[in-house]
Amino acid sequence: MQGSHPSENGEHWMALEGGADGSLGDGPFTSRFIGIGASVPERRLTSDELMASTEHQTDIDLERLTGVRERRVVAEGEDSYTLALDAARDALARAGLAGEDLDVLIVSSISRYVGGLRMQLEPPLSLSLKEALGAHRAMSFDLSNACAGMMTGVFILNDLIRQGRARVGMVVSGEYISQLGVNAAREIRTIQSDQLASLTLGDAGAAAILERAPEGAPGIEVAGFTTLAERSRLCLAFPAKVGAGVSMYSDARTLQEVGIEDTVPLLREALDQAGLGFDEIDYFIPHQTSARAIEKGVKEFSESMGGAPKHVVVTVDEFGNTSSTTHFVALWKYLREGRFAKDDRVMLLSIASGLEVGIVIFKVDQLLERYGHGH
Amino acid sequence: MGTVIEATATAKAQERSMSPGALEAVDSAARSCLDRAQRTAGDLDLLINAGVYHDKILSEPAFAALIQEDIGANLSQPPGAGHGTFSFDIYNGGCGVLTGIQLVDGMLASGTAELGMVVASDMDPEPGVSRGFGFPAVGGAVLLSADASRAGFTAFRFDTFPEFAELFQGYVDWQEDAGPGPDHHGRNILTVEIAESYTVRALECAESTVRELAAAQGLDLGAVDLLVATASVPGFADALASRLGMSAERVAPLPDDLAGAHTAAPVLALESVPLETSGTALLVSAGAGITVAAALYQA
Repeated sequence: MQGSHPSENGEHWMALEGGADGSLGDGPFTSRFIGIGASVPERRLTSDELMASTEHQTDIDLERLTGVRERRVVAEGEDSYTLALDAARDALARAGLAGEDLDVLIVSSISRYVGGLRMQLEPPLSLSLKEALGAHRAMSFDLSNACAGMMTGVFILNDLIRQGRARVGMVVSGEYISQLGVNAAREIRTIQSDQLASLTLGDAGAAAILERAPEGAPGIEVAGFTTLAERSRLCLAFPAKVGAGVSMYSDARTLQEVGIEDTVPLLREALDQAGLGFDEIDYFIPHQTSARAIEKGVKEFSESMGGAPKHVVVTVDEFGNTSSTTHFVALWKYLREGRFAKDDRVMLLSIASGLEVGIVIFKVDQLLERYGHGH
Repeated sequence: MGTVIEATATAKAQERSMSPGALEAVDSAARSCLDRAQRTAGDLDLLINAGVYHDKILSEPAFAALIQEDIGANLSQPPGAGHGTFSFDIYNGGCGVLTGIQLVDGMLASGTAELGMVVASDMDPEPGVSRGFGFPAVGGAVLLSADASRAGFTAFRFDTFPEFAELFQGYVDWQEDAGPGPDHHGRNILTVEIAESYTVRALECAESTVRELAAAQGLDLGAVDLLVATASVPGFADALASRLGMSAERVAPLPDDLAGAHTAAPVLALESVPLETSGTALLVSAGAGITVAAALYQA
């Protein structure tokens, strides 16, 4: 074996990629986001409406319990593929690019529904998206990593761009997952149900385009990932017995508790690598599972880190948990609403089934101008 | 610095096992692969699963996370020491293993990882219920690391031919009248459909990609010592060799009973030859899409 193990060069548990300071790995370049797109269906479903559809009387106050007031759900003709395609087109428009400019196309949907609730395993969704976007040059594939899918795609693409193996690439996902809530509503009886988390899900597509940043320009500062597989069986989803689509069974309480506990040292690791304190993060975008989980997580992280981020982004109230797209739907919303300043630093934190923990820290910078702000 | 194959291993699903399935097969292959390289699971930085047809057709978590747990690769973070393992799945049909190898190659080159494993397995999740599933139940694993003294993988090329997307389909959908008993009015069923014309189209596409790769790399196909070619259908490698003007002796064979293996097929073929002494190897996979992956490996 040649060289020393990455952990010996700085003692880190996560697979880590550096950025502008070039402190990690051999990448001579920095990557940056240049387009964030999203597609949220028009149709809204409130938690009250969803709970009124349960087959059994439950007395669960879902909105109070999770903070999810409503979620978007697909209409006839919409599915994972159409959500992903619309988001991809939105991101390309924001970036001022065409599909043919893409070197890499990564699709990271957990749900792979095409033509309604037909789950397509082969060919990969990336094949159809590549064709529809005209991304003829792009190396394409699908990946699956639960709710950490898009973040995993960003991690991979960041690595490729940093080395110069790709100049521009897209990570895209379409999640038609409201059907899990429909299936859960048929079976759920009490607040203790292992399908409770399915009731928080909403549909959305999201896309992120990364490019090689000009020399000296800000971009992704640190990206890190790890899988704490001791927790791999806390949440399982597979084709439903009660109807079309998927059912998901999770020990949500344990997942939340261990997710927060296990993430603390990883968060510290990523911040240390970036040379930052938690209070130097301007916007913290965690995975959107429930308002309570976010509040609890931020409290524990802040106590452990000795400081809190300036803003915590919560979108679960209006979109629900949109799975792999959640960070980028939130980012898209805040970009459109002009919430960020040019120098703001954002941290995306993924805590997902697996147990996957992923972190991306970046500067907003030129993204603002692409949404009509920052001039 | 080249990405080299440290070891390969395969394992059939054991029908008499307590838990026969794609997971058991791939767990076994992964353990054997690590043993052959005299590595431990804790050495792994990266674990990528490229199998498509899992037990229960699990969509969450990544199947790779279950494999990581089963083989005991850095399951939880001990305070202040060591390194973790990062696991995820890729879906690229019969090209999944080569796609995974390319991703590991990238992370080895950047120093993000030092040891990566690509695994794959497929098994009929519901024998007797699924439709058209004909792939043998087998798992495979490839262990990869960086070596400054060897060339290893020197080139990759991926092409897609969407005009042939209908020729190879795998999907799950709800069949209204397929369930037994009064409480069931239907069930979700896996269907695999491979058109008769798939093989010949896959050969055409694969030949095109290989010739493009050879042209780009200035490679004389006559100088290729070993052809590792798979497309999830029997006889593909010999037919491709013939189209490329290569002799049958240079083809890495698949065992007769596993000739139609799906995502693990490239590993089965690699296992059939002494790769270390094979000179220049050309790896070609074709799959649904039609997608073709090709790579050059200097042993």
